[in-house]
Amino acid sequence: MAKILIPTPLRQYAEKNNSVDIAASTVGEALASLTTQFPDLRKNLYNDEGKLRSFVNVYVNDEDIRYLQKDATAIADGDTISIVPSIAGGRC
Amino acid sequence: MIRVQPEPWATMVAHAQSTYPNECCGVMLGSIDDDNKVVEVAMNLENAYAGPQNEHYEVRPEDLLMADREARKLGMDVIGIFHSHPDCDAYFSKTDLENSCPWYSFIVLSIQKGTFHHANSWLPNEERTLAAQEPLEY
Repeated sequence: MAKILIPTPLRQYAEKNNSVDIAASTVGEALASLTTQFPDLRKNLYNDEGKLRSFVNVYVNDEDIRYLQKDATAIADGDTISIVPSIAGGRC
Repeated sequence: MIRVQPEPWATMVAHAQSTYPNECCGVMLGSIDDDNKVVEVAMNLENAYAGPQNEHYEVRPEDLLMADREARKLGMDVIGIFHSHPDCDAYFSKTDLENSCPWYSFIVLSIQKGTFHHANSWLPNEERTLAAQEPLEY
């Protein structure tokens, strides 16, 4: 089983769980399983085209999946999947 | 409503003033009870923006990941992000809005001539097209 850590503001859509254990072999499968189990999470994580929203980054342990095999990134028992937003800004 | 306790508030103001004339950034940890948020810890982060930092900031996702781990260790929640506007008011700019995340509170500290002037908290909507002002106490 891999563990998906749920960011604080999204726990309200995941029955208040701060993490969810998922049996899956890739990150894509794990997130699909998560959003099937908790459908209200889907609109927070994915856009209308079914792609991760532009500001959503996914990490397996310490690695950003964009620099691995993206959704096809393999996961093993004990891996931790984190959902981390991109944040920036400026006064102008 | 978001209330920042004295210790994290002092951390945030000191960070914003010490990085002047550049923008600073950081993460706020604490507790959430319905719509009442209490900031108990402020973690200063490095502004990772590669261009002129006097008018932009960027949070490294890896730093936010570390902050989330720290929050879990402390039994707290990640409540939001703070950053500064050097010699500007504490509005939520178009750039702030378009590069925000609708999951968090965003506190903006106005630093005028190197000294803290005022602050506001903002809540971006889901589409990141509007931000509502959130009552802030510090």
